[in-house]
Amino acid sequence: MDYDIKQTTAWVTGPILLSLVLFGTMPFWIEAVGLYQYLGVEVLIWVIFALGFNLLLGYTGLPSFGHGAFLGIGAYAFGLAQFEVWPNLWFCLAASVVVTALFGAVTALFLSHRRGIYFALMSIAFGQIFYFIASKWTDVTHGEDGLLNIQRLPVELGFAQLSIRDNAELYYLCFAIYAVLVIVLWRLTNSPFGRLLRAIKQNETRVAFVGYPVTLYKWAVFTLSCAIAGLAGGLFAMAQEGAYINVMSLQWSGIVVLMVLIGGGFVSFWGPVLGVALYFVARDVLGAYTDTWLLWFGLMFVVLVMFKPQGLAGIWQDLSRRRAAERPGRTASAGMEG
Amino acid sequence: MLLDLIPHIINGLALGLLFALLALGFMLIIGVMEVINLAHGSLFALGAYVALAMMAPDGGLPFAFMEPYYALPAVPRYLIALVVGPLVVGLVGMGLELCLRRTYGSDPLYGLLLTFGAALVLEETIREIWGSSEYALPIPRGISGGFIAGDLIWSTYRIYAAVFAAGLIGVLWLFLNKTPYGAVIKAGAHDSEMVRALGYNLTRLRLLVFGFGAALAGIAGIVMAPIWGIRPVVGVDAVIPAFVIIVLGGVGSFWGAVSAGIMVGLVVALTAAFLTDWSLLSMYLLLLAVVTFRSRGLAGKSSVLEA
Repeated sequence: MDYDIKQTTAWVTGPILLSLVLFGTMPFWIEAVGLYQYLGVEVLIWVIFALGFNLLLGYTGLPSFGHGAFLGIGAYAFGLAQFEVWPNLWFCLAASVVVTALFGAVTALFLSHRRGIYFALMSIAFGQIFYFIASKWTDVTHGEDGLLNIQRLPVELGFAQLSIRDNAELYYLCFAIYAVLVIVLWRLTNSPFGRLLRAIKQNETRVAFVGYPVTLYKWAVFTLSCAIAGLAGGLFAMAQEGAYINVMSLQWSGIVVLMVLIGGGFVSFWGPVLGVALYFVARDVLGAYTDTWLLWFGLMFVVLVMFKPQGLAGIWQDLSRRRAAERPGRTASAGMEG
Repeated sequence: MLLDLIPHIINGLALGLLFALLALGFMLIIGVMEVINLAHGSLFALGAYVALAMMAPDGGLPFAFMEPYYALPAVPRYLIALVVGPLVVGLVGMGLELCLRRTYGSDPLYGLLLTFGAALVLEETIREIWGSSEYALPIPRGISGGFIAGDLIWSTYRIYAAVFAAGLIGVLWLFLNKTPYGAVIKAGAHDSEMVRALGYNLTRLRLLVFGFGAALAGIAGIVMAPIWGIRPVVGVDAVIPAFVIIVLGGVGSFWGAVSAGIMVGLVVALTAAFLTDWSLLSMYLLLLAVVTFRSRGLAGKSSVLEA
């Protein structure tokens, strides 16, 4: 059970188009199905975060359990850049990305020569260190209160200025970023770099013997993943109109892993997208019926890990493989590629 | 000045020995099952809650048949709690092992994720039964309060906790090193396939070891409860030090875990005395300092966890 072995050179594939159409039209139908615009914003931001995280977890096999910290750092960086330096959207988003990538790059220096459970334990330790610093360094982060009144800055296009104060407007900014990012990540995971990451996941020692600088690759992918987390964090700060510490906690870092896994990030590029969507929809739909929705979600997760650890994408792959087997003459690679 | 530190050192020792107890249960499970049990903290919390149900009528479960039981004096009830708590937690642990069986042989990450899900479920279940508010575990009068000796106020309970944990660690060491059962467990941690080849029932061994490790978490939870208080999120506060201790002490080393436990306890207690806000951060800084230079911790051997 793994990603499709065959890589593709296509920039845009069927599933990418499908996701663009679905997410692109979401503001028009989300209210009709009983949900609300802000949920769409949340889903897209977490999809961006989870796609970046899956580079680490799914593609390289590095179980990072402190990744929420980088989402939080991105959010704080966005707020501080806006308050202290220059309230311009592009500048603040760039600040989120660069600052978070720097934090990630330094963290990766300690992590990149580790693997397996030791990697997981050290990533927890770093996540907790950032969490404690954020909660105690109140002059900068305002501790438990959070950094309040972060503005949704207008989109400057040179010739025009678009407001994103409304949730649907903010959604389209997130969507534009998603559209670029998903294509970039698709290309990246289908590039020689992506192939090497997958090789590291399968057998790190062997990759090192073949002559690749494994530590450098792991450092690079960790930093990249943190940069994407920073981008998501900047958007999240605008969505929440504030930067809060709770996403930096161990629990939230764990929930990101849970979302990616439940969607099937181990076997599919699309796992994180499915997982995030399922999580937020479950939160709202189950949450409407019961206060203990997390209990039921946790049970569902346990059952899934026991019986179908490849997640939703794995179930989909099985179904499409079975369908292909019933129609002889066609190859079994239909459905969710990658 | 140095004398002023003594109560903090006692606090640190009590904390450290309890951390060590928790970490040893954690390590037994890592050794035999090759699973990082993220639910260990929730099992710790469950132990405290079960003890609460055995001790306090208002924090307990509203079962009518419990009425005559609550009429008992505090001391026998406490002793019963010390037996029933670990038993219940051990059984829950065994249930968890039955679920975990399906993940053996696949990526160890799946086992870890399953226990993460289990931790979520356990915590929510505790919240459902006991609510989110904080409880204090009532304890018999003999081990509560404090006394004055040499111009210092000593907490009786912390000294009791330290002695209790030290005693239990000693018993555990004897069990692991001087009994045939201990030999099988250690052999199972070293090479479980070989243990099976020698004719031992590995399936049953794993079930029992998981239950045993969970019971240790439960008993640590009961003894820690009067110090930390009882609330649903206490599990996270407990599982993190257990992690830190295992990494610090090195996987697979009994005395590595005990000394790392005491180290962490002392560091946390001493920083808490001077810089209250930063007490938990010091633990991580200690971890980073040690692991940066000794990647397998103080006494660790090469293990499956690095693969």
